[in-house]
Amino acid sequence: MTASPPGPETRPWLVQYGEHIPETVPAPAHASVPGAMADAAARFADRKAFTTVMPNGMYGTLTYAQIDRMSDAFAVYLREVIGLDAGDRVALQMPNCLAYPVTMLGTLKAGCVVVNTNPLYTADEMEHQFTDSGARAVVLVDLFTDKMEKILSRTPVEHVILARVPEFFPPLVKQITWAVMKWWNRVIPAHGLNVTPLPEALAKGLASPAFPKSGPVPYYANTTHDDLALLQYTGGTTGVAKGAMLTHGNLLWNLAQIRGMTGSHIEEGREVVLTALPLYHIFAFSVNLLTMFLAGAQNILVPSPRPVQRVQRAMENYPITWLTGVNTLYNALLNEEWFIAFPPKHIKAAAGGGAAMHHAVVEAWEKMVGAPLVEGYGLTEASPMVCFQPLHGERRTGTIGIPAPHTEIRLLDDDGNPAEYGKPGELCIRGPQVMQGYWQRPDETAKTVVDGWLHTGDVAVMDPDGTFRIVDRKKDMILVSGFNVYPNEIEDCLARHPKVMEAAVIGVPDDKSGEQVQAYVVKREDDLTVEQLVAHCKAHLTGYKQPKVIRFRDELPKTAVGKILRRELRNEVIGGGA
Amino acid sequence: MLTELETSLLGIMMIIIMLGMGASLTFKDFAIALRRPHGIAVGMICQYGLMPLTAFLLSIAFGLAPAYAIGLILMGCMPGGTTSNIFVYFSKGRLSLSILMTVCSTLMAIVMVPVTLGLYGRGIEGDWAIPVSEVVKLLFVLLVPTLIGIAIRKWNANVGAVIELFGSILGVVVIVFLLASWIPRNWELLTTTAGSIFFVSIALGLIGFLLGYGLSRSLRLNPVRSRTVSMETGIQNGPLAILIVAMVLTGDQQAHVLLIPILYSIFIVLSSTAITFWYRAMTTAEELARDQAKIGAIGGQ
Repeated sequence: MTASPPGPETRPWLVQYGEHIPETVPAPAHASVPGAMADAAARFADRKAFTTVMPNGMYGTLTYAQIDRMSDAFAVYLREVIGLDAGDRVALQMPNCLAYPVTMLGTLKAGCVVVNTNPLYTADEMEHQFTDSGARAVVLVDLFTDKMEKILSRTPVEHVILARVPEFFPPLVKQITWAVMKWWNRVIPAHGLNVTPLPEALAKGLASPAFPKSGPVPYYANTTHDDLALLQYTGGTTGVAKGAMLTHGNLLWNLAQIRGMTGSHIEEGREVVLTALPLYHIFAFSVNLLTMFLAGAQNILVPSPRPVQRVQRAMENYPITWLTGVNTLYNALLNEEWFIAFPPKHIKAAAGGGAAMHHAVVEAWEKMVGAPLVEGYGLTEASPMVCFQPLHGERRTGTIGIPAPHTEIRLLDDDGNPAEYGKPGELCIRGPQVMQGYWQRPDETAKTVVDGWLHTGDVAVMDPDGTFRIVDRKKDMILVSGFNVYPNEIEDCLARHPKVMEAAVIGVPDDKSGEQVQAYVVKREDDLTVEQLVAHCKAHLTGYKQPKVIRFRDELPKTAVGKILRRELRNEVIGGGA
Repeated sequence: MLTELETSLLGIMMIIIMLGMGASLTFKDFAIALRRPHGIAVGMICQYGLMPLTAFLLSIAFGLAPAYAIGLILMGCMPGGTTSNIFVYFSKGRLSLSILMTVCSTLMAIVMVPVTLGLYGRGIEGDWAIPVSEVVKLLFVLLVPTLIGIAIRKWNANVGAVIELFGSILGVVVIVFLLASWIPRNWELLTTTAGSIFFVSIALGLIGFLLGYGLSRSLRLNPVRSRTVSMETGIQNGPLAILIVAMVLTGDQQAHVLLIPILYSIFIVLSSTAITFWYRAMTTAEELARDQAKIGAIGGQ
């Protein structure tokens, strides 16, 4: 008998931590997220905390001290003026803008629970999320009052606080920006809702006798790591959205883990972070907003990065040192004239996640920008960060890197046993960042978190040095005549063709082979032909992996953060092809 | 003719308009645009090649008297008007290309206006000649606020964008102001003006739209960009021509030479509005066709 080679339980990745990543990080010093943020606000009081940049460069900025005071006022408003209780849910539904950090921190300071809500949701989706979470108050951007009006009476929402995208801009700039949106772009609908404008809510909070003369608001003094901070909805693209319950402890631990992995590239009080991904998504929420706030960074908020040209002024006018994005965002930037002509000069590192980064994109980015673009892996249910490529040492594109400190990993085969060494298995994780479960869904929770192990639904393999690679989503795997085909591999191959902008690969039912591989491709160069791609695939892929159908599209369906929605594409193809 | 007050007011307003126009972009935007100068080059050929020539040929074809001929030629030699950006926006054209073309043609005006004006105005001498050196001085003075505007946009985007907005609103205000004060006082002149003068004032803009589009398409610019160049070509900086005449000519000469620039300024607003609706409908139809093609591609399994 030979001893089986070491599995994940031996943590072979620790070697890669080197001197830059600590094997353990100290337990979070603060009992709650608002406690940690108020502390940072005191330390960095006069520094700029958030700057919202409109596509034409107009901007508004709030300092750490302003964020602190305004969020205090909002907390007092929630508790004293409209009478919410600790633990009540407050939904936040807006794109990136200054109102977001104010109301997010204010909600947590009030001892309430934040329910992040995608502003692009349909009325039905909004109704589901507000009802499911039991939100008593909603902070809503004025772009979508029409949807709110349709569903308000069918939800438990009692109070609607209305925010504007240019909220807290200098007065004249705010009026102009808003007037352009209202009268020129006509994106602000009229409504008959009974709402409180955010500035009025803050004024009421400030005027309340309960507003403390000095020191912090009292509502979060007894908040502990076990208290719920966030209901982060997920799974909306695959079925009914469920709220992942993330506690103050989950978030604070994950922040410590993120800091552990990236700390060597973060200087307190000196970073300028570009936040083009939406803050209502867990990636930007934890990495850009929380982590960087605690590090005293200035966050540059872009309300909508699509088309990507809207990021131009933000990149030109601020010395960006860090940014986060998904493959599609980096890819889009690399194809922009202005970006190629003047690549940003101060970038220390860029983080990618959400979906697999493509080799070609990472290589092109690092060559052009001269700083690492590291890929991480995370999911809503893990606050989100699980793995990250180390910023030091050899670059390993195409992997998700190594687990963060305090993260345990198992790879389980279809029978629930540890996968044979070197074989793919479902990635399961345990650590302080794993959620408490799905809000009011014990069945779903029991299926997903088993004995403290979070079953991710992603299939991964571990290399001998402890680096992990995601093979694919369990659900996206294509079965061609009994062979497993992982769409990622095919997409990556297509994306390496110089005339391809991006590609999505799906499986479609087929009489002969069970499923058939189909590729949908967005051209970079107009003269690309199907024949060229067929030849390219033949040269790089075995027979059963080669797409049987290749079609060109102007664009691919994507999520709010720019993840390609294979499922939606598949529905379109199967539905429309009948 | 214009009163002294009107002339000074026009001068001050023009400085603000130029400041606002400059504040619509940064030096970096130029550098980026010049990496692919195709569109700009086509635009400049239309602006300083086709338009002055068109004005010159029109003046000959209609046998205009020197006073009117020089007014028309001056009008043809002007850089792009700042109001073109508003029309391009509403016609769903490429706003960035429009802004760039306006600023480019304005910066080049200091060289190109004297050259073209000197070339096509050669035959006109004596009382009606516009002293080119005076024009250069004026353009030089206006170049300063343009450059300051560009620097402001870089220095503070909020200040820059607000100035840009006020500049473009003022551009419209100036035209309205001129017309409101000038038309009533010159009503009699207008009723006695020959039909051919009206005709060439209107035709200059329309031919500009047509040639701009035709040349852009034949040089393989896509339809949307071609329509943008078209609008930029047809819409000249009318108030600037009026200011030049008011500054360098006086009395009777001024009154006659001024007529065509003023008529052009009136009618270009009307014809641009009509063209805007038309172009907008074309762009919308193209977008729809593209969407249809997409749906077809999905459905056509």
